[in-house]
Amino acid sequence: MNDPTQITRILFQDFDPKAIYLFYAIGYLAIAVFIYGVYVQIRKYRRGKSDGSWNELFQRFVEMVKTMATHRTLVRRDKSAGRAHGLIFFGFVLLFIGTATITLEYDILEPLFGVKFWYGNFYLMFSLVLDLAGFGLIAGLIYMMYRRKWLNLPKLDYKRVDRQEGDPDFDRSQYRREDWAFLWSFILIGITGFILEATRLVWLSDSPHVWDYRFWSPVGAMLAHIMQALGLTADGAGSFRPVLWWFHGVLSLTFIACIPFTKIKHIFTAATSLMFKDPLAGRRLPRVPDDQKTAGYKNITDLTWKNLLHLDACTKCGRCQEACPANAVGAPLSPRDVILSLREFANKALSSKELPKEAELDIHGKDVGQVFMETLWSCRTCLACVEICPVAVEHVPIIVQMRRNLVEAGEMEPILEKTLQTIHKTGNSFGESKRKRAAWAKDLPFEIKDARTEPVDILWFVGDYASFDPRNQKVTRSFAKLMHNAGINFGLLFEAELNSGNDLRRVGEEGLYELLATSNIGTLQACDFKSIVTTDPHSFNTIRNEYPDFGGKFEINHYTTLVKQLIENGQIKLKKKLDYRVTFHDPCHLGRYNKGFDAPRDVIKLLGCELVEMARNRDNSFCCGAGGGRIWIPDPVGIEKPSANRMREAGQIEGLDVFIVSCPKDLTMFEDALKTSGYEGKFIVRELIELIDECVEYEVWEEAALPE
Amino acid sequence: MKILVAVKQVAALEEDFEIRADGKDVDEDFMLYDLNEWDDYSLEEAMKIKESSDVEVEVVVVSVGPDRVDESLRKCLAKGADRAIRVWDDSAEGSDAIVVGRILTEVIKKEAPDMVFAGVQSSDQAYASTGISIASYLNWPHAAVVADLQYKPGDNKAVVRRELEGGLLQEVEINCPAVLTIQLGINKPRYASLRGIKQAATKPIEEVSLGDLSLTANDVGAANSMSRVRRMYVPEKGRATMIEGTLAEQAAKIIQIINEFKGA
Repeated sequence: MNDPTQITRILFQDFDPKAIYLFYAIGYLAIAVFIYGVYVQIRKYRRGKSDGSWNELFQRFVEMVKTMATHRTLVRRDKSAGRAHGLIFFGFVLLFIGTATITLEYDILEPLFGVKFWYGNFYLMFSLVLDLAGFGLIAGLIYMMYRRKWLNLPKLDYKRVDRQEGDPDFDRSQYRREDWAFLWSFILIGITGFILEATRLVWLSDSPHVWDYRFWSPVGAMLAHIMQALGLTADGAGSFRPVLWWFHGVLSLTFIACIPFTKIKHIFTAATSLMFKDPLAGRRLPRVPDDQKTAGYKNITDLTWKNLLHLDACTKCGRCQEACPANAVGAPLSPRDVILSLREFANKALSSKELPKEAELDIHGKDVGQVFMETLWSCRTCLACVEICPVAVEHVPIIVQMRRNLVEAGEMEPILEKTLQTIHKTGNSFGESKRKRAAWAKDLPFEIKDARTEPVDILWFVGDYASFDPRNQKVTRSFAKLMHNAGINFGLLFEAELNSGNDLRRVGEEGLYELLATSNIGTLQACDFKSIVTTDPHSFNTIRNEYPDFGGKFEINHYTTLVKQLIENGQIKLKKKLDYRVTFHDPCHLGRYNKGFDAPRDVIKLLGCELVEMARNRDNSFCCGAGGGRIWIPDPVGIEKPSANRMREAGQIEGLDVFIVSCPKDLTMFEDALKTSGYEGKFIVRELIELIDECVEYEVWEEAALPE
Repeated sequence: MKILVAVKQVAALEEDFEIRADGKDVDEDFMLYDLNEWDDYSLEEAMKIKESSDVEVEVVVVSVGPDRVDESLRKCLAKGADRAIRVWDDSAEGSDAIVVGRILTEVIKKEAPDMVFAGVQSSDQAYASTGISIASYLNWPHAAVVADLQYKPGDNKAVVRRELEGGLLQEVEINCPAVLTIQLGINKPRYASLRGIKQAATKPIEEVSLGDLSLTANDVGAANSMSRVRRMYVPEKGRATMIEGTLAEQAAKIIQIINEFKGA
């Protein structure tokens, strides 16, 4: 048995002291460059506006560690890339801890206190773990190289949809070069590390406390045997080693120095971005302070430090672009490109010592780094990008903030401008008289209570489309019947109900939103009720998540939750089962926005339908194209509408009878899209309420009294 | 340099409305008020001159009407007008366009602007005479239905293109100061965001009484107008019926109607 203290690695073995000094000098230089880079980045973030995300830091930190440790967000919708990243990530973390451990002993504990621990069994275990870590790192990197080179993934193509060939920032080839430089330098550090390890083993092959324990570093040992088989002698290894050592060392230190200036910085920016993630991002948009002169983002300095940090967290993985409905139909929007444009802009404008003139800070326009107005107006605020981003970039709030500025400058489609004026004038997007809001209820065989004048259990906030659109009025009447027959004590706000403002806020007309929201809140607060129900996911979202910011805290349910309860406790009696083969489209504002995935599916199953999911379902549901005010802006001709794209997807389901929606806007969008999809006659689009209605048999007098 | 823009808050009708008990107007309950569409364009034209000018240009909007008109004036302020003036006295109720022109003229005399813009007409009353009566009272040159304007502050002449029937344009050189009535489509009016309107609430709206303008109740109102509304009504509709049913049923019905007309 050897002396355990002998079983270790002697650092700088046989090095000239001058060489060691030189190495330390390079090391300190690398650290200095690194620190300077970090300083420049932090100075950049500090040039943004303040943000209130400093609360609950500890909890945020724990959440971030959990997300990183499980790689939960990275394996979503791309398992292989996520796992490969896991290998690289954990490999790197372990190697970093390893290096830090050696530094701890060699540079701190031993010189100051004479403490040594890096020998014997600990050393052997350390060698094994780090060898495996290095192996994982290289394996992960090789997969990533393979993926970039041979998989031809559209999401890794940086060519832009909002720029033309020939524009200076069209293909973003600079990023491709950076990606490869990163992969190669990283893998070279790993490979040279192993060769160095093997070379040392060959060099010290006659020293038993090295050679006898070689298999504790299995990769190095294997390479050593190969080298020996190829004829490398101990002397040969000894003279080859310094060259390799310097190469490995200088490359590693350069890598560290480069972190703040290259994509490698995502090690820090992605982690902090995750830490400052807002769970309500996009669901609850930021308020505009009353004393702020202009609304929204005009200049890069209008972004908050958190926005600027998010920009730097982006690793260009392209998952947002893949999920984006606007991008899918060829609209000039890629959420990634918006983020990257703003990042490039921020790096250019905010990294130097002095801020440029204000005119050079404008992020709207047609120049390099600026974002086109058409790009911003293409967004449907469906949150698909925010949902899938592995590093918690919050695209939609930034896009809406930029739109707020466009709205103030009047840079929008004339037809949208007209709609905004109509809503201001009449309180609804149909331009109908307030008096007509509850006209759909006129022919019902029972009276609906006025919640403004008498107490009710449930206040029904109907919403514009369910109130005024003739096709949706049928559904609205069915829901009224359903509630009435279930014996619910419910009422309406009648002409006092105004457009909830959800979509207006997402258009960026914040002033009008405030006007509508505060008016509705005032009306609701004057009523006596226990909770609110709505069939409109858009109203549901803003009342649930945004009204509290304006002092309106109400309990609100989407009807699917209420109906599920009513069926389960027998208040709604299903008289028959349906044998349809159906699929369900998750409305963005119910599903992705508010995690209401299960209630509608449970109801569908209670009705007896056979539910077949589309490929894009639940959190990956595909927007109908109507969100973010796009229902008021006609889609350009010549390109496919998102709703048509969805119909094609549903059409793939063999024997599909019904395409079920649970949102008034979805009903309008998809019934329209079905007509031109080529699937008309093959399946139909129905509101879930209509299917429930089929299963409930009402008294004869009611049936007769109800209009078609 | 000052441009005065005369604006009006007009009433739009709801789909179902009722006539007032006295039969002379629509019941106010069924009216939705907003800035006259033409005035959006005349204000925008003034704003364009202001924004492209090297010298200071003040844009003043003036309206004759009750408290509710402040809302429309605030919209003008939100779009960038510097000041707003509202003239009102309850005795002015029922004034015709010429009397309104007279009141505005008194404001203009005090303000002494270099140009006066008005809309061609108002969308609710459509007399198209307020602007022209101002020119008459002031004895200023005027051009109506202006579809294009070339004018810089300080010019003693402006070149306007007037829209005539049959797609014709008439190019006119006009001495300044002048009164121009502005036609729709001359420009693209800007959007007044609600935040802008809210912020404009801090800009004061100058309230002017008849007395301030050396006018009395005897100068204004229905009684002192040269025209008065006698009644307002919806004419009886012509006979039209939608024929429903299958093609055969529709055809049979049409034959029956034709026969009825022939007296068969």
